[in-house]
Amino acid sequence: MAETHSLQDLRQQAAIASKVFIQRDYTSGTICKFQTKFPTELEARIEKQQFEETIQTLNNLYAEAEKLGGKSYLEGCLACLTAYTIFLCMETHYEKVLKKIAKYIQEQNEKVYAPLGLLLTDPIERGLRVVEITIFEDRSIGSR
Amino acid sequence: MPSSVGNTFKPTKFIPVSTAACLLVGSTTLFFAFTCPWLSNAISPAVPLYHGVVFLFVLANFSMATFMDPGVFPRASEDEDKDDDFRAPLYKNVEVKGVQVRMKWCSTCHFYRPPRCSHCSVCDNCVEDFDHHCPWVNNCIGRRNYRYFFLFLLSLSVHMVGVFSFGLLFVLHHLETLSALHTTVTLVVMCIAGLFFIPVMGLTGFHMVLVARGRTTNEQVTGKFRGGVNPFTRGCCGNVKHVLCSPLAPSSNALLCFCRYMVDPKKKLAIPIKPPFLRPALSDRNVTVKLSDNGVHGSILRTKSKISLDGLGEKNTDTQPPLPPKAERHNQLQSQLTSSEESSISSKPTNPPTPAVYRYRPSFGTIPKVHYHATGEKIMMSEDSKSSAILEERGHDYRSEPNLDLPDYGTAPLHRTFQSSPFQLDSISTTPRSLSLKQGGHRPEHSPLGGRKPDPVISTPHRGVFSPGTLSNRNGSLSYDSLLTPSIAPSAGECATHPGVPTMGFHSPFLPTKMCHVRGPELQGQTIVSPYSPVRTGLIYGRHSPHLREREQERERERDPSPVRYDNLSKTIMASIQERKEMEAREKLINRHGPGNYANDSGVFDGCSRVPPGPCYPDGQRGPGSRGYGSRDNLIGVGLVGYTPRTPVLRSAASSLVRAPRTSTTSLHTDAGGGGNLQYRSPAHQPHHSPIAVPRSPSYSHQKVSFISSRERAESPHLGTREDLGQGKVNGQPQGQARDCHLGAPSGTALSPSRHTNVKKVTGVGGTTYEISV
Repeated sequence: MAETHSLQDLRQQAAIASKVFIQRDYTSGTICKFQTKFPTELEARIEKQQFEETIQTLNNLYAEAEKLGGKSYLEGCLACLTAYTIFLCMETHYEKVLKKIAKYIQEQNEKVYAPLGLLLTDPIERGLRVVEITIFEDRSIGSR
Repeated sequence: MPSSVGNTFKPTKFIPVSTAACLLVGSTTLFFAFTCPWLSNAISPAVPLYHGVVFLFVLANFSMATFMDPGVFPRASEDEDKDDDFRAPLYKNVEVKGVQVRMKWCSTCHFYRPPRCSHCSVCDNCVEDFDHHCPWVNNCIGRRNYRYFFLFLLSLSVHMVGVFSFGLLFVLHHLETLSALHTTVTLVVMCIAGLFFIPVMGLTGFHMVLVARGRTTNEQVTGKFRGGVNPFTRGCCGNVKHVLCSPLAPSSNALLCFCRYMVDPKKKLAIPIKPPFLRPALSDRNVTVKLSDNGVHGSILRTKSKISLDGLGEKNTDTQPPLPPKAERHNQLQSQLTSSEESSISSKPTNPPTPAVYRYRPSFGTIPKVHYHATGEKIMMSEDSKSSAILEERGHDYRSEPNLDLPDYGTAPLHRTFQSSPFQLDSISTTPRSLSLKQGGHRPEHSPLGGRKPDPVISTPHRGVFSPGTLSNRNGSLSYDSLLTPSIAPSAGECATHPGVPTMGFHSPFLPTKMCHVRGPELQGQTIVSPYSPVRTGLIYGRHSPHLREREQERERERDPSPVRYDNLSKTIMASIQERKEMEAREKLINRHGPGNYANDSGVFDGCSRVPPGPCYPDGQRGPGSRGYGSRDNLIGVGLVGYTPRTPVLRSAASSLVRAPRTSTTSLHTDAGGGGNLQYRSPAHQPHHSPIAVPRSPSYSHQKVSFISSRERAESPHLGTREDLGQGKVNGQPQGQARDCHLGAPSGTALSPSRHTNVKKVTGVGGTTYEISV
């Protein structure tokens, strides 16, 4: 409890300064892909390389989720045969990858972004439309 | 049947689906009950089995099509759409596989609809890959459930064919007992099947063609790709595969059925985020002058995000509305300003505290340069005292002035600075981002910009209001202060030099402003600067985020003509100016100790407590006040607007000032350099009034502002005002003029020229018409 409380305190310490929204990249169609352009708001907060790497990894994961492979075909057939009751028991391939993505984002937040005062929001919460990056204000003087 | 939250229960919309369900289930049940027994005996038991399977398939697909989330986009959060609502153009173009596709702004859902997305009025949701809204299943058909809908159609067609055929077979074998119950029922079932056969088969065939072509019903019906290329097609086989075999997409709506992907709150670990935060190595980026937009409203989130995505290229603009380039610039600046303003409040100490005196290169060569301080501009004060150079840079006009202040912290004899300004400029130039101020007045207009270009802008959040002039003034004042009170100098120097010192950032903007006023009108550059600087500074001030782009800086630079050239002033005048400055500085010192109330801004203030803020500011407010005051005008009121929330007093002062410049904006660009100079000069030669009279400043700033504003207006109409932006952006959207009001400043109305006599309408960039008083 105390720990939670302190965590909350900690969280309360950092106020949200602004948010950056990374939009979808539609150049390849409607597949889920986010723009890797480095937003200027983050220029002073994170390395461009790191940011691009994160977004690129996310893109790759989404591409894997949406891939039309043997696995997804089999899943579809099985679903058809069981009158889709299979969905009640089994997790689809997409869902599995989404969990992987959520885990990746969580890990990135813990290791990379939170120390920099940033927070990535899973795009699934926004309907896979944007990646929301919350920039927390940095009150520490001389943090540079 | 998914329906959006908040919809009232309308029984009528369930009629078609109920009818369809009843007919389907009822007819099939009758068929199984009355026809199938004979069929299983007469032909084979496989027949009912086959029909059973097909019927099961039909039901499953029907249920999926009815209950599954079609791919609804949740409403955009408020943070995301803050800007777009007001200023967003209606359409945004995006390139998909080489084909330009238009994305429309959805006013209900508050985002730009992705390609192939459409808003369903029945469900009141934006649906991904929207096909159509099917009343028979009372659901939208979209990305997630299109397959089930298509399979439902296919299976229903097969089922109907089967039922009709075997029913016919039954009837033909029982022709002699047509009035018998079984036969009658079979006949009825056959009739129903036959009745719906044509529509269902027609629809099935239609969708088969759509699937083969890779189009949605919506696209087909609206004729989007008629005669054109469909960028979403994957070839016939690819399209079929995509429809039938693609994995089930996730649903963002946990309430809808068949959505098994849900964010489990328990599993989400709370990540503590607390300062201090690490920062990436900014060694080469330190000097980023953040240009704060004038009075850009706070919610730039959207704009910003949009802007940030600008770089993606026009093709794939997901972000910036298609504004004219200048407008974009301004938008960006504005957004930055807004953000910087906001951030300034939140005291972002990260940026170099010293407000960069940002001098906008006047587009007109001769126009005196105004030292504009972008809020974010920290004029790079690289660690050395040269940071003052920032101001100086700007000061090419100000040479004398800023030099006094900035160039050397603590050194500053007037003449020295004067001379040193070139040096400083140089020194500054050495610092990477030092505000392009270095450009020194006589460089070609763009050189300062050029100088700045490479430098990242460091947003000086606190500066906000300080226009370049202020900054320079500040520098001057700093120098004065340093002369007067050595202690100040270090702080000033600190500000200038250490980007990381937040406080510096605060007071530097203030100081100069004050000094500007202190100097009074005689300092052409200065006074002019002050009005501008506050504006600019304010803008800059607002912008904490260091993301002020160099581009923007440049633009700002270009926009702000420096009103005063110190080098033009005679030495005697300069000396007298200095004397006055000293006096005023002393006054300020006396007055200064009160304020420090601006949280972040005040930080600077406090730091510069030495410099009495009072006299400098028209309304007697200290730095912060002056901030808004002078700079606002300069910034065509945009900056003003930005600051108003902070200081209501300032606002009033600023607003008055704002009007002034606007009216006289034309003068600036009509007169080009000479006229402006003249205007500036005159105040400079006015008798010094040591106390900084409020009226004096307004008039002064007025002139200056007008000069600048005209310039700014001419060059970047959008930047100055939200309304301009709104106008510039208009793309079917209402002009956002009203929005400016929310900035808190007098807003658009204030911007309209009021005081000056001859009002001239000038069409600026983007087609915005400005009224300028000539």
